[in-house]
This record gives sequence, structure tokens and C-alpha cells, in this order.
Amino acid sequence: MAATALAKAPPRKASAQATENIAVSVRGVDVVFGEGDKAVTALSGVSVDIPDGSLVTMIGPSGCGKSTLLRAIADLIPISAGDITVLERSPGRARRDRNFSFVFQDATLLPWRSAIDNVRLPLEVGGGGTVHAEPAELLELVGLKGRENALPGELSGGMRQRVAIARALVTKPKILLMDEPFGALDEITRDKLNEELLRIWQETGTTIMFVTHSIPEAAFLGQNVLVLASHPGRVKEFMKVNLPYPRKLADRDTMAFVEITAHLRRLLEEC
Amino acid sequence: MADLAHRASAMPNQGFFRLLDGLRGKWPAIAAVVGLVAFWQFIVTGFAVPTYMAPGPLDVLKAFREDGATLLANLWPTMFEALLGFVFGNLVAILLAIWFVHSRTAERAFYPIAVFVNTIPIIAVAPILVLIFGNGLAPKIIIAALICFFPTLVNMVRGLKAVTPATLDLMRVLSASPSEIFWKVRIQSSLPFLFAALKIASTTCVIGAIVAEWIGSSFGLGALIIEATYNFRSPLLYATVFTAALLAVTLFSLVSVVESRLIRWKTSDVH
Repeated sequence: MAATALAKAPPRKASAQATENIAVSVRGVDVVFGEGDKAVTALSGVSVDIPDGSLVTMIGPSGCGKSTLLRAIADLIPISAGDITVLERSPGRARRDRNFSFVFQDATLLPWRSAIDNVRLPLEVGGGGTVHAEPAELLELVGLKGRENALPGELSGGMRQRVAIARALVTKPKILLMDEPFGALDEITRDKLNEELLRIWQETGTTIMFVTHSIPEAAFLGQNVLVLASHPGRVKEFMKVNLPYPRKLADRDTMAFVEITAHLRRLLEEC
Repeated sequence: MADLAHRASAMPNQGFFRLLDGLRGKWPAIAAVVGLVAFWQFIVTGFAVPTYMAPGPLDVLKAFREDGATLLANLWPTMFEALLGFVFGNLVAILLAIWFVHSRTAERAFYPIAVFVNTIPIIAVAPILVLIFGNGLAPKIIIAALICFFPTLVNMVRGLKAVTPATLDLMRVLSASPSEIFWKVRIQSSLPFLFAALKIASTTCVIGAIVAEWIGSSFGLGALIIEATYNFRSPLLYATVFTAALLAVTLFSLVSVVESRLIRWKTSDVH
């Protein structure tokens, strides 16, 4: 194993240094669906700290609960045990304070609203929040200048997902939770959006948690990769990716990158 | 200047060609109608069919000219009944659908009754309502409303529920209130379903009004149909039927125009 490219952190342990602020803290979290004999343990004793401003990708086999963890952090599902804090608040409180945004696998745009009106949606509901970015500027940031008035039905899958990202950024969230946002896109579009997401991350300084089932995507985007094992879902490894930013798509052909993906693949085979 | 003059002279020509272009797509329909009418006149004249049995198109045209005032005088009450029935029937259906979507209990209690009411043939309800409400406008409006009611109720309930779980997740992350979800999402996503029902209702409300007029009425297109039949005034009967059809087509077109103004987006899951 290449020690230069991989720095192994002990599993189930925080990797953040004491000096760093923690954006999301997960402590011994269990998530159980159903009751009695039909109860299914989706997550068991998951602990991880996500440093402020970092980009953490989450990967694992089907049923490892990577989406479940993200949805628990987003207050979309309740946890059965343990504790989650988002910016030192409860997930519900953080949701109402607009501390995080969520990007789904489907763009989930409202089809009757133009691109820019979809970006405006978060400002129109739930109190609207106190700070917001300019929707037109965000559409420019995601490369959709000139398509502000297009309806979602007139945009390609990749463009729709760009609108969804702009919508997520409009409340200037501290944290961006992304649940396989590029999973339904073709590889070329996905590569392009991966590069652009890194650019947006560096421009905005937002903490990003990114669920994916693509090993190259997890390694290319993440400062850290959280590897989860299944049955029940638990932390396998919280791995640091020692590749400098800005990263270019061509970096994926370097030896260092291939060593990282090979290590991830081995980890996933053990899961 | 020369260019301007050229353009001016070209204008009417362009208009003419545009008209031709517009007609080019429709010529099969126009030819079919002209052919059928000619065939009808040919059969009637060629086989010397008595006018009381089946009038030719020329006889019907004559009836339109001679009894135009009678037709118009009877068109107004039928149109009035159909329109009021359309408004009331659909309004009640929409409000009931909104109630059903908000209260599972209300849906369980009243949906079976709505289904039962729908299974009673409208022709059987008409005499009952005439007995209760007399010979005035009221029973006609109620029957026109009844016939509109059910398709709109079913479609509206389906439309209000046609919101994807992902969209509801999005609204929860945005901390949207139930009323915000209702106005920003549910109402909009129900519109294609609603208009599918309104288009059905726009033609059936005319049928409802006419059927109601058959049961003891001295005015309206329905009464005129009965009267013309009993007096063997077949050309007038045919003219009345065409007038009723024209009314229904006009209402249908009006609903279609409103629909195309309100719904610019396309959806795949509406039939």
C-alpha cells in the first residue's frame, strides 16, 4: 500500500484535529426501521466528525445506509439512538435555521417553474431565511447563464441537476448534503459536473457531504472518503485522500489516484 | 427603401401562403366533412327519402335560416344551465377533493357515497329532481352539475396526490409549512389532471342540461328536440342537435384555451 497517498484513520473515530471546527458530528448513531420481528437495522453505532469546510464523500455497498446517514443528518428520518449535531445544533434546529441544503438524486425541480424561479423557491417557503445569494448569479456560477427562463422540461438531465445545485446554494448554506446527485447522469456529464462541483466548493467554502456509489467519483472529489460497510450499516474507514487541489480530471490517470481507488475497491470487497 | 417596398408588397402574399400552410395540415379533415355531407345529400335525394324521416343537409340549412330565432331563444337557457352546472359541479368536486386530500377520514366516509351517486343513471335522477325542484332552471343546473362532478372529483384527488416523495422531502428540508406545500406544489401539480376532467365536463354538462330539459320543460334545446320530434319537424330537430353540439364544442375549446395558457409545462403521467 502506498503510504504517501493514503493516510489511514482508525475506524469509528473522528479524524479531525482539535484545532478544526466540526460542522457535523455523528455520535454512536443507530437507525432502525420498523418494529419487532420486522425491524431492520440500517445504521449501527456510526460515529464520524465532518470538519468545517471539508468535502467528504461517502461510499459503500448497497444497503450500507450511506443515504440513510445523510437523511438522518438532514432531519428527514429520525435516529433510534446516539446523537447528531449540525453546527452544534440539533438537525431539526439546523434545518429551520437553513444551515444546510440537500441535493437529491433527482433534480426535483417544480416543472411549472422556470430555472430561476426554481432557484428562488427556498426563499419563498419556510420563512425564506435571513441571507440569500442572487439567483441569477448562482445560475451563472453553475454555467446556466442565458437559460434563466427555461422550464425544466426544456433542460437536459445535467442542466436540471445544475439548477438543483444553484437552488441548494441560494440560502448560502454552511453545509451541502448531496445524495448521489450525479448518479442518473451519463459519464461525460458527470465528469464535467464533478470538476464544477470542486470549483464551486473552493469558491464558496461550503462543507460538502457527498454520497456516491462510484469509486472514482468518491476519490476524485473527497478530501476524505467515509467508507461504510453493510448489514448493519457501520463505518469501515474514514480515509484521507492525499491529493492536492485543484484537481483536474486528468489527475485520475495518475498512479497516486489509481492507488487510492484500488485501496477503496479492496475495502468495499471486504464489506 | 426598395427593401421596404418589397416587404410591403410581399406581406399579403405571405399571409395568403401562411393560410394555405395552415390549411395544408387540415385538408383531410375538411375533405372528409365535405365528402360526408355531399354523400348524405346524395343518399337523401337519390333514394327520395322523405324529409320527416331523414332531412338532407340543404333542408337542415333551411331550418337554420327559418327557425334561427327559435334556435337562439332556446340556446340561451340551455347554455345558462350548462355553464352554471359546469361551475357548481366542478367547484364542489374541487373543494371536496381538497378536503379528501387533507382528511383521510373524510375521504373514507364520502368517497363511497360519491361513487354510488355516480353509478345512478343521470336519466333516472332527472325525474326525481324535477319532482323536488319543479320545472324551473334549478333541476337542470343540478343535473348538469351532477354529471360534471364525478370525473373532476376523481381526477382532482389524483392530481393533488401526484406529488413525488422526493418533492415532499425537498419541501421538508426547506421547512415549508403544509399550506405552502399545498399552494406551491399540490395545486400546481393537480392542474393537468383538473383540466383533463374539465374538458370532459365541458361537453357532458351540455348533455346534462339537455337530458334535464327532456323531463318536462317548455324551454331549451332539450325541449325543442322533443317538440321537433313529436311534430315530425326533422330539419329543425337536426338543426337543434347541431346547435347543441356547437355549444359543447365551444365550451371544450374555451377550456382548452385556458388550459394552454395556464399549463405551459409538459407532464408525462396524465392521460
